[in-house]
Amino acid sequence: MTSNQAKKRRRKRKWLDWIPLMPFLFFCLVIMILPLFFMLKGSFTGSEGQFTLEHYAKMGVSIYAISFRNSILLSGITAILGVIMGTIVGYFICQLRSKRAQELVTALCDVTSNFTGAPLAFAFIVVLGSNGVLTLALREYLNWKIYPAFSIYSFWGLALAYTYFQLPLMVLLIIPAIAGLKSEWREAARGLGASSGQYWRYVGLPVLTPAIGAGLLLLFANAFGAYATAYTLTEFRFPLITLQLGFLLTGEVFRDPGAGDAMGILTLLMMGMSIIIYQVISRRGRKWQQ
Amino acid sequence: MAAMNKRTAVPGFAIGCFLFYMLLPIVATYAFSVATRWDRSILPEGLTLDWYKAAFTDQWFIIVFKNSLVLSISTVIASILLIVPTAYWVHLRVPKARPLLDLISTLPFAIPGVVLALGLIRLYARPPLMLARTPVMLVAAYVIFTMPFMYRPVANSLEAVNIRVLTEAAQSLGASWGRTLRQIILPNILPGILSGGLLVFATIFGEFTIATFLVGARYKTFPMQLVYFTRRDGRIASAYSVISFTIAWTTSLVILWIAAWGAKRTSGGGKHPTKGHTTGVVGD
Amino acid sequence: MSYLDLDHLNKAFDGAIAVNNLSLHVEKGEFVSLLGPSGCGKTTTLRMIAGFETPDSGSIHLAGEEITSVPPNRRGMGMVFQSYALFPNMTAWGNVAFGLRVAQKSQKDIKQRVNQLLDLVGLSNAGHKYTNELSGGQQQRVALARALAIEPRVLLLDEPLSALDAVVRVSLRHEIRRIQTALGITTIYVTHDQEEALSISDRVVVMRQAMIEQVGTPEEIYTQPDTHFVATFVGTSNQFPGILKDARSGLVTSVNGDWQISIPPIMDDHMQNGDALIVIVRPEEIRVSQAEIVIEEDNVITAVLETITLLGPVTRLSLSLPGQLIIADIKTVDRGRFVCGTSVQLSFPRRACRVMPGGDITNGDDN
Ligand SMILES: Nc1ncnc2c1ncn2[C@@H]1O[C@H](COP(=O)(O)OP(=O)(O)OP(=O)(O)O)[C@@H](O)[C@H]1O
Ligand SMILES: [Mg+2]
Repeated sequence: MTSNQAKKRRRKRKWLDWIPLMPFLFFCLVIMILPLFFMLKGSFTGSEGQFTLEHYAKMGVSIYAISFRNSILLSGITAILGVIMGTIVGYFICQLRSKRAQELVTALCDVTSNFTGAPLAFAFIVVLGSNGVLTLALREYLNWKIYPAFSIYSFWGLALAYTYFQLPLMVLLIIPAIAGLKSEWREAARGLGASSGQYWRYVGLPVLTPAIGAGLLLLFANAFGAYATAYTLTEFRFPLITLQLGFLLTGEVFRDPGAGDAMGILTLLMMGMSIIIYQVISRRGRKWQQ
Repeated sequence: MAAMNKRTAVPGFAIGCFLFYMLLPIVATYAFSVATRWDRSILPEGLTLDWYKAAFTDQWFIIVFKNSLVLSISTVIASILLIVPTAYWVHLRVPKARPLLDLISTLPFAIPGVVLALGLIRLYARPPLMLARTPVMLVAAYVIFTMPFMYRPVANSLEAVNIRVLTEAAQSLGASWGRTLRQIILPNILPGILSGGLLVFATIFGEFTIATFLVGARYKTFPMQLVYFTRRDGRIASAYSVISFTIAWTTSLVILWIAAWGAKRTSGGGKHPTKGHTTGVVGD
Repeated sequence: MSYLDLDHLNKAFDGAIAVNNLSLHVEKGEFVSLLGPSGCGKTTTLRMIAGFETPDSGSIHLAGEEITSVPPNRRGMGMVFQSYALFPNMTAWGNVAFGLRVAQKSQKDIKQRVNQLLDLVGLSNAGHKYTNELSGGQQQRVALARALAIEPRVLLLDEPLSALDAVVRVSLRHEIRRIQTALGITTIYVTHDQEEALSISDRVVVMRQAMIEQVGTPEEIYTQPDTHFVATFVGTSNQFPGILKDARSGLVTSVNGDWQISIPPIMDDHMQNGDALIVIVRPEEIRVSQAEIVIEEDNVITAVLETITLLGPVTRLSLSLPGQLIIADIKTVDRGRFVCGTSVQLSFPRRACRVMPGGDITNGDDN
């Protein structure tokens, strides 16, 4: 056999190796890539099929702008709350003496970070609705009437419910990073004369920074795409971008398809960027810890 | 002595607050579902199972439960059939395609349910296709939506046991492809498939958003009925919530248990195939 | 025709040549090692024999039958992997039994054979253990027993001991050889550890940059290296670059005339007077004595003793000549006589010298 023939055979075999991947790739193309691609196309297409930026221009005003602002604020605030509290709680969990207790609390985080959507919203109505358990208890025992200043159906009510699933997620993300802080580092820092505060400032926190940064972005994306919790609590009354999209989608006929596409694309951009940065940071963090 | 107290007091207080925050909504929901009346007083006025009875006797209960079950199980099966052979093949024969597969399987993290539903409806709900608003399309969307949950644990267990060398070892001992798959590959990635499958199951059983938009009232699911009752009758909603949440946490615990079992079985040190938490991006 | 014939095998990965026109003939029952630096194509050769890679060209015959494109599960080659590749979902017993089950042997036969093999590798009490409950050495024994269970036509081992610590490595390699001899099984053994290759093989194949450099018995490889690469890769060698003054009497002088070396006379004409060449001398052939002693030997050169390094039973002296360092190994019991920084005499017989053509003084490792 000449080497040329061999080369051809080899190339053919390599090409054949890709065939078993085709069903999967085709499926992803049809169900995920194409719809998003046409959404992108639609967001730049006017009613006559011409190229236009009007849909994006619309995003800067009225209800769309408010929805984006609210979504960013809600996701940002609950992400920050989740990261701060999650890091502290995660640290204390790692300090727990009993291995058993550690496992129990971690398992609880696992369970509660999956407690989202309608059941979560309903649970918060039970606890903090206008006749909720905690609402009544606070009125009865502390004579503190939280309504109408607070409402579970308002921004801060939503923030409280969102934080409920953000916090345990952050705990789960940060615990491996905290557990990765080697006790030798602390001892070495101590040996070099550093105080506990200095250890945290110069070693502990810098090492945790990638995990914290990654957590912030993941939590942001996590909240930004959420729908069911907010919908169950507020239906379409509170302007969030996902609710706005859902509102457009209800009913068989589209009210404003171009605006829907533009909203969808901008949402994807926000989420996509968060996830990409999250991946980059956490990969770097992992490399660093080895 | 005082220093000692302070050292345990702060963490104790922090974890206490955390547990209170995490447990109160759950405990309250469970209690609410068995309370006669609980909107006038701190403690429930009495105990009852009436709300469960009401939920179960509602003609819709069986239908939505069955629908959600059918959707979850179909998604798990479709997901396994589509992803496991692909992941295995890529790890075995086309390592060059791995970055591509990793990328594709993280994409869904960045696609919220509403946006996926919007895209599918915009593209496939118009004549002549009219496919978007069917349960089959819903399952397809679910396979995409839960892809990271399935792919990651499976890919991790494929990496943890060095599937390529095991395949070669089995072949050098005379085993055919079929036997290699059945007796070597599947048993070794089973923990990954199981925990991935369970996570998909739990996610889909509680999924509300995509189902509402794609099939809506034509194919009512359990979460849709739950949302419906939160507006109409909080008692029955509480029974639904408890059932939904119970399924979710049972699944989580089973996944954790499988992870521990898988870690014990495969090589002692090394990477655990399914170690870690049972969560992906889950906010909904 | 031999038992296992590799003829003109070629294999490239994405244009990079991994194996280049390799031919090798192995007799039945022979123990052959493939030895060479990292990346020289040993594993690729072995995997072509096992059937995991298809050669781009060339052929493989086993017992006269062409097997070049027979799939690996029908070749009957027992393979032992560097990472053991034990099936983690099975016990040690199950691993050894796997190939027999595949071959649909009867339960009774399987039982008997597995027990016999576990016995052979000294693990009769560990059959019930899962692989993660075994030490590295035990895992490798199971892997060996598993490969032997199918009564392979050829046993292939790819650096089977490299993940083990030094003591286990030495004892296990002798065990492998013992079992191989007892069963009379044809064996190809890949290693980059020259000591391992020399100590257990019938023949050693030295490879370099995808090609075979030399094939021979361990003794031939060590004492009569064909090439400069073999001389320096296998064992340690001193190199004296010089010019052939007189081929008939065997006289070589250094380029700048610092020393003269007498070598065995060169009878054929592959080298002419005036050619550049390298004289190679093993460190253990060199004797070292104090400067004032008068020595009767073919070659005597004066050098300065630089360092003394204790290696165990031997002690390594490093000695400087103008422009180069020479290494000599002496018995440790004799080392008391030497002081660093003093002048000493090196002496070695004419027959200890091997001559390579000079000019292409490439180094031992190619990485
Ligand atoms: N599957 C592969 N794809 C691409 N290149 C490969 C592949 N396998 C081997 N090579 C290349 O072929 C060459 C020979 O590799 P091989 O594994 O045979 O070397 P080796 O002698 O076994 O080395 P080592 O001692 O490091 O195991 C190397 O340059 C290697 O990079
Ligand atoms: Mg190798």
